[in-house]
Amino acid sequence: MAELYVKPGNKERGWNDPPQFSYGLQTQAGGPRRSLLTKRVAAPQDGSPRETSPGPPPMGPPPPSSKAPRSPPVGSGPASGVEPTSFPVESEAVMEDVLRPLEQALEDCRGHTRKQVCDDISRRLALLQEQWAGGKLSIPVKKRMALLVQELSSHRWDAADDIHRSLMVDHVTEVSQWMVGVKRLIAEKRSLFSEEAANEEKSAATAEKNHTIPGFQQAS
Amino acid sequence: MATYLEFIQQNEERDGVRFSWNVWPSSRLEATRMVVPLACLLTPLKERPDLPPVQYEPVLCSRPTCKAVLNPLCQVDYRAKLWACNFCFQRNQFPPAYGGISEVNQPAELMPQFSTIEYVIQRGAQSPLIFLYVVDTCLEEDDLQALKESLQMSLSLLPPDALVGLITFGRMVQVHELSCEGISKSYVFRGTKDLTAKQIQDMLGLTKPAMPMQQARPAQPQEHPFASSRFLQPVHKIDMNLTDLLGELQRDPWPVTQGKRPLRSTGVALSIAVGLLEGTFPNTGARIMLFTGGPPTQGPGMVVGDELKIPIRSWHDIEKDNARFMKKATKHYEMLANRTAANGHCIDIYACALDQTGLLEMKCCANLTGGYMVMGDSFNTSLFKQTFQRIFTKDFNGDFRMAFGATLDVKTSRELKIAGAIGPCVSLNVKGPCVSENELGVGGTSQWKICGLDPTSTLGIYFEVVNQHNTPIPQGGRGAIQFVTHYQHSSTQRRIRVTTIARNWADVQSQLRHIEAAFDQEAAAVLMARLGVFRAESEEGPDVLRWLDRQLIRLCQKFGQYNKEDPTSFRLSDSFSLYPQFMFHLRRSPFLQVFNNSPDESSYYRHHFARQDLTQSLIMIQPILYSYSFHGPPEPVLLDSSSILADRILLMDTFFQIVIYLGETIAQWRKAGYQDMPEYENFKHLLQAPLDDAQEILQARFPMPRYINTEHGGSQARFLLSKVNPSQTHNNLYAWGQVFMDHLKKLAVSSAC
Repeated sequence: MAELYVKPGNKERGWNDPPQFSYGLQTQAGGPRRSLLTKRVAAPQDGSPRETSPGPPPMGPPPPSSKAPRSPPVGSGPASGVEPTSFPVESEAVMEDVLRPLEQALEDCRGHTRKQVCDDISRRLALLQEQWAGGKLSIPVKKRMALLVQELSSHRWDAADDIHRSLMVDHVTEVSQWMVGVKRLIAEKRSLFSEEAANEEKSAATAEKNHTIPGFQQAS
Repeated sequence: MATYLEFIQQNEERDGVRFSWNVWPSSRLEATRMVVPLACLLTPLKERPDLPPVQYEPVLCSRPTCKAVLNPLCQVDYRAKLWACNFCFQRNQFPPAYGGISEVNQPAELMPQFSTIEYVIQRGAQSPLIFLYVVDTCLEEDDLQALKESLQMSLSLLPPDALVGLITFGRMVQVHELSCEGISKSYVFRGTKDLTAKQIQDMLGLTKPAMPMQQARPAQPQEHPFASSRFLQPVHKIDMNLTDLLGELQRDPWPVTQGKRPLRSTGVALSIAVGLLEGTFPNTGARIMLFTGGPPTQGPGMVVGDELKIPIRSWHDIEKDNARFMKKATKHYEMLANRTAANGHCIDIYACALDQTGLLEMKCCANLTGGYMVMGDSFNTSLFKQTFQRIFTKDFNGDFRMAFGATLDVKTSRELKIAGAIGPCVSLNVKGPCVSENELGVGGTSQWKICGLDPTSTLGIYFEVVNQHNTPIPQGGRGAIQFVTHYQHSSTQRRIRVTTIARNWADVQSQLRHIEAAFDQEAAAVLMARLGVFRAESEEGPDVLRWLDRQLIRLCQKFGQYNKEDPTSFRLSDSFSLYPQFMFHLRRSPFLQVFNNSPDESSYYRHHFARQDLTQSLIMIQPILYSYSFHGPPEPVLLDSSSILADRILLMDTFFQIVIYLGETIAQWRKAGYQDMPEYENFKHLLQAPLDDAQEILQARFPMPRYINTEHGGSQARFLLSKVNPSQTHNNLYAWGQVFMDHLKKLAVSSAC
C-alpha cells in the first residue's frame, strides 16, 4: 500500500548522509537479517609475496552482454536501487472524496467522544482542507489520504493506522499539523465501533436469555 | 574432526551463545596456559521466531542458594516425580501441575531442543512503557524544526498506552505539564544549580508513592491500575496537545553573542529527568531520551566554557591533564547513570552537531543503563531521522524490539566460577559460590542489571576454571552454565528467558588437538577485544597494546606448530588461522587507537563495540571487503590495497560506514555511459550489484551507517584507502601485515620468550 522508494540523504547537512528509505521499504525489511556479506579471507601463511597487480587493462569497452560467461553477478535486495526513483503519475485524488468521509466519521463520534477532542479533530480537519485547497499537499500525500479514507470506511482500522504512520514517517513536514487529528479519529471510530458491537452482543445475549425454556430455571 | 563450525553455528542460532573454547580445559592451571580465557558472548534476547514462549512459570530448584531452573540437563525420576538439579544435585519434587509427566510426555523445558526457552509471567500488574523526551533548544532553526518533526512523528510510532513526557532546556530547564485543558504550563528551573532528587520531586509537587521504593519487581496485584502523572501522560490522550506543544517550541531565547557558545544546561536537565522518573515510576521500563546539539556549557556536568576560542578537550588535552571540566563532569553523569540504573530506567543520547557534544563525559549514561548513543552531524539528516525511526522497529509479532529492566543471573557447575561481564550493564553485587575473586570486566557478582536491551544486545561473560590440577574429571564429564534473564517485554509482559548449556571437559595434555579444533577464533577475538577496550578505558593506552601483543605471542607459542628458532616452519591450524589477523586489525582500530579521533568519536565507537553481537563486532574489528567483477560472483578479498584493482568494484563495510569504490576502469566505463546501452546490460547489472547489497545493509542496521559512493581518484576514496593503507610509510597493508606476521612468528618460535 505504502510506496517503496529511496531518496538520497541530505548531503548539505551531513557528509555521507545515507539515503532515506520510505516507510514501506523499512517495514518490509522487517526484523534483523542475516548479514550476507560476512566472509573473510585468511592471509596466506607461507608469506609468499603477492604478485604486484598488472597495470590497468587498456581502456576498451566492457565485455558485452552476449559474451558474458555466466549470469550477471547476483546482488540481493529489492528492485529499487539506491538511486532515486520516480513513480508514475496518477489521476489526482479528489478533496471532497477524502474530507467528506472524515467529517462524517467525526459526526458519528460526537456522542461517544468528549467535546474538546471533537473540536480539536475538527480544527485539524479544517486545516487539512485549507492546505489541500491551497495546493500545499503533494500528490503522494493526497493519494495516500484517499486510500486511508477507504480503509477507514471499510472498518479496516489497522490498515488505516498503518497508512497514517507511513505518511507521518515519509511526509512529516506536510502532514504533522493535522495528521494527529486523523490518527485520533481512526482511534475514536474504532473504539466506537467495538462499543457498538459489544452492545449488540449484549442485547442479543439478553434476548436469548429471555427466550429460555420456562421450566429450565426451576431445576435445582 | 567433526565440523565444529556447524556445532558453533547451531548453538549460536539456538542459544545465542558463542564460547571462546567449546571443549573446556579440565584444570585451572591448564586453563590459564591457554591464554584466551574461557568466556562467552551471550545475546540474552536473541530473536527466536520459532520459539513461542510458554505460558507458565519456571520450576526452580528448592535450595535457596541455588534456585536453578529445571532444564534438559537435569536427571528426572518420572515415577517418583522427582528431579535432580544438575548444578547443586538437590533432589526436588515436581509441583502438582506436573503430575502427568512421563518419558513420553515431557514438559518442554526438559527437551534438549529447548536448551533455550522463554516463560511468560502471568501474575503482577503490567506497567506501560514510558518515554521522557529531554530536548535541547539551543539549535539552529533548521535543526530544531527537523528535530520537532521527528518527535511529532514518533508520537505516531509509540504504542497508544505508553506514557510520554517533555523537558526542554537551554539556559533554563523547563518541565512541561501535559494537560488536555488548553493552557500549557511548565515548571522552570535554573540551569546552574543541581538539585537532589527530593528537591526536584518537591518542587514538581510529586507525592511519594504509598509503597516504599523497592528494588524488586514492580506493582503488587492489589494496587490501582497504573497511574500517570501530570508530566507523563498516555499517548492516546495527549498526542494532539503534545504535537502542538512540540510544534510551538522555540529556540532558546537567551541571545548568544559573537564568539560565544549557547548556555546549555544539560547536566541539570538530565538530573531533573532522572529525579522525575525516580519519584513517579521507579522500577518500570522507561527511556530518558536526550536530544542535544552541542556541549553542556553551564551548571553541573558542563564540559566546556562558553568562550568559543577555548576549544573542547581533545585526546592530547586529556593526556596532558589539560581538560579542566572532565573529571567533575564525568562524575556528575556517572552518579546520574548509576541512579538511573538502580531505578531500572535507561538513558539514550542523540547528539547531532558538527563539533563535539560531551559524549566522553556522558557516555556512562548510555553504557551503564543500556541506552542508545547516536552521533550525527545534524538533526536534519537522514542518518538521524532513520536511526531514530528504527528504535521503534517492530518484530515479526508486531511488538517493539526494545525490552526493559532485565536482570541476568548466571549459574555454573562447581568447576567454574564467574569472573565478570563486559557490556551495557551494572553489577547487582550478588555474591555466592559461583563468584570468582579474580575479576575480568564487571566482576564480584553473579547477577547484572541491563535496563535497556534489544535482540542484538550482547554481553561478554568471563569465567574461571577452578578445578585443581590433580582432581580428575570423570570420563565424559561436562560442565554446565545457566543464563536466566528476567525482563519486561515491550508488550509490557514480564518474561524469563532461560538458556542452559553444557560442554565437555578435556585433559589438555592428552587432548590438545580436540581442544584446538573446538576453538572459536571469532568469539575469542571479540572477547579479547572487549577485554582490551575495557582495560584501555581504565588504564594507559600503550599498556593495552603491549598486553594484547603478549597474549597473541603466547597463544601462537602454545598452539602453533613449529620447529624451535625456525620462523619459516611456523603453522597455525585452521581454527586459529584468522586470529592473528583479527588482532592485527584490532591494534589499529579506533577502539584502541584514539589519536585519530576526537574523544567523543572514540566514546561513540566503543559504545557500539561493547554491545553488538559477534558478527557486527567482527565487522568493526576487521571491516569486510567484497569485490565485484565480471569474473565471477562477489567474493571476499583481503583488506589490503592489493585488492584495489581497476576492473573491480569494492564494497567495504566498517559497520559505521558503507563504502562503494569503483576501480579506475569501471569508473571510466560508467562515465562513458556503457550502462545505458542495451548490449552492455551486464555492465549495468555489475554496477547495481554492490548497490543492492549495500542497500540491504543500510535498510536494517542500527545505527544507520554513513554511505560513501566513490571511485578511483575521488576525494572520498580516502575512507577505503585509510583502512587498507593505515600508514604512509608502507605501500600496502599486506606488506605491513607481513612484517607483523614475520615478527610474530619469530617471537613465537624463540626460546627466549
